[in-house]
Amino acid sequence: MLIVDRMLLGGIKFVLGKVAAAVDAELNDDSRLREELLAAQMRLELGEITEEELARLEAELLPRLREIRGRQGGEAAQTLESGEYKVVGVEATADFEKE
Amino acid sequence: MLRFYAGKGGAGKTTCAAAVALALARGGKRTLLVSTDPAHSLGDALEARLSASPRSVRGKLFAAQMDADRALSRWLGARERSLRAIASRGTYLDDEDIDSLFRLSLPGVDELVGLTELRRLSRGFDEVVVDTAPTGHTLRLLAMPATLARLGQVLDDLQAKHRALARSLRGSVRRDAEDALIDELQEEASSLHELLRSAEAQFHWVTLPEELALQETRDGVSALRQSGLRVERLIANRLTPKADGPCSFCLARRAEEARVLERARAIGLPLYGVPEQAREPRGSRDLSAVALALRSPLRSGRIRNRTTPPSVAAPVADQDWLEDVAGAGVRLVFFGGKGGVGKTTAAATAALSIARRGDRVLLLSTDPAHSIGDVLDAAVGDEEREVEPRLWAREPDAARAFERRREKYRTAVEELFAALRGGSSFDAPYDRAVMEDLIELAPPGLDELFALLAVIEALQRYPVVVVDTAPTGHALRLLELVGKAREWVQVLLQIQLKYRRVTGLGELARDLTGTARELRELQQLLVDPRRSRFVAVTRPAALPREETARLLSALRRLRIATPALLVNAITPPGCSRCRRVAAAEQEELRRLRRIRRGCAMLGAPWIAPAPRGGEALARFGRTWTRME
Repeated sequence: MLIVDRMLLGGIKFVLGKVAAAVDAELNDDSRLREELLAAQMRLELGEITEEELARLEAELLPRLREIRGRQGGEAAQTLESGEYKVVGVEATADFEKE
Repeated sequence: MLRFYAGKGGAGKTTCAAAVALALARGGKRTLLVSTDPAHSLGDALEARLSASPRSVRGKLFAAQMDADRALSRWLGARERSLRAIASRGTYLDDEDIDSLFRLSLPGVDELVGLTELRRLSRGFDEVVVDTAPTGHTLRLLAMPATLARLGQVLDDLQAKHRALARSLRGSVRRDAEDALIDELQEEASSLHELLRSAEAQFHWVTLPEELALQETRDGVSALRQSGLRVERLIANRLTPKADGPCSFCLARRAEEARVLERARAIGLPLYGVPEQAREPRGSRDLSAVALALRSPLRSGRIRNRTTPPSVAAPVADQDWLEDVAGAGVRLVFFGGKGGVGKTTAAATAALSIARRGDRVLLLSTDPAHSIGDVLDAAVGDEEREVEPRLWAREPDAARAFERRREKYRTAVEELFAALRGGSSFDAPYDRAVMEDLIELAPPGLDELFALLAVIEALQRYPVVVVDTAPTGHALRLLELVGKAREWVQVLLQIQLKYRRVTGLGELARDLTGTARELRELQQLLVDPRRSRFVAVTRPAALPREETARLLSALRRLRIATPALLVNAITPPGCSRCRRVAAAEQEELRRLRRIRRGCAMLGAPWIAPAPRGGEALARFGRTWTRME
């Protein structure tokens, strides 16, 4: 029983992870990154982070922003098409430590 | 009877109000004299120690200096539970958010309860005489019933959602404490509105017989009349008495006054005149002389003498004072002080000298009763204008700026609320009503807020900005607002970050972040003595001197540099009366030296007629001297 529960749970988690990744990919345009930058600037004004921390964040985010902008107009971004999906593969492994 | 003494700062509202109150009390009426100006000088005029609650001064005369901040805290304290309940029912903010919003204060909000407090204090008196703040802010105070009514409307919208919810769950709505608060606000608003327009209230406009004051009088009186208030009389204060000998200075002043008074008659109000006293009226004996002059209107015989006087030759000095006022590297200079000391003329003179030195400079007015256009003798408005080479001028229009911002944010705020609603369609009509009324609600303290934004904007485009401020009380509010506005913006940023996953960060967040940064930079600039400074302007008389002392210590608390103190309108030697006045002024100058706290003391002579236009101002600037 316990094993079935865990398998089921793992499966749902996996599917959710996939969906989240797809949504992320879709949202991973420059507006998403710009929002991250804005949030960092807001934190600076609130005294939650220092100028140095903001500079570090900018150094990390700005190249990604440029990269995305470079890619735009090139190959179409991978997006999830609407329609019915069949969920399979409860046995697949997934790494949820990252987030 | 409620008598308001309104008018330009420094015209003598306090003196006239005190004199009339004293006379009413002597006539057997139980009289209250109350000041609503945040920079009180009523105690100085009465030579009595006053407080926020009425104290007996002598006989049947009582006096009080309104502490609007405290009145507001008391008012809010008694209603906080209900306000919180409405806020949490009607918005998506949680207790923590509401807490942080409640802890904030905004200068100017106190004016919201000023009239309510006035009525509370008036209870039990036959006569109430009100010494008001200078023109611009008094007009705001009088507009408060309308603001109060709008506030009630916003709260009612917020509550409407709760009522609908209760109706759908219980089938009926019970009236609660929150509904009672909303009714109270709306009743208060309409009864104050009526009181001000009833036979129980009248306005007396106090002015000086000067060109600048006359312009402000025309605008002020027509603003009062337009809002349906009863202006009873016009009082011209500090009229120059006849010279007791040949005196070109007295002649020049009297000729100028005669010209101004003749035009003042055209306003169509009974005109009263108070002659200048040998020393500033203080205490009951001096005030009786003023009351006597106010008994009957000015005879038109007083208005003669139209001979053009020989111009008064003034000594010419070089402009070494410019180094004290705006040396190299200085970006922001405030000119401030009691009403009527000549702030605007001084600020315009300094700005002109800076421009002629070769720097591009913006002269910016933050007094809602603008007069830099009158002093420069040029049309100046909300748009910046180059009045002469490198000298730009602007009189910001707070109402218009608010309108622009409101339009800009209307969509953004609506989207934010839609997102916070989280897709539920149940309460949409209520939210829309709340938003629409909230956006219409011009917050009190609006003038200071937009003045501040105008300063920030100006600093981005001009190497030097000279600010002509509102009289002391409101100038200090403007400076305090920098820190307080930053707190507000920070709380709004926190709320946006908190609900970021739901609402996203849009244009509003970007603008707020920009404003937070600009306020932080302005805060740093203000306390840097190499880049910004405040020039205190005063006259050699007791009331301005005492206000200057309070101004200097307030600025020290705010850590704003005050390198120069300008003593304006020093009487030149002339007839024996002039010499008597000059001797009294010398005594005041000695006292000023003791309170100046290390700032350089600059002196400027009284010029009649007052300088207007570029050339006259440039000549005036050459008469300023360092007095050591």
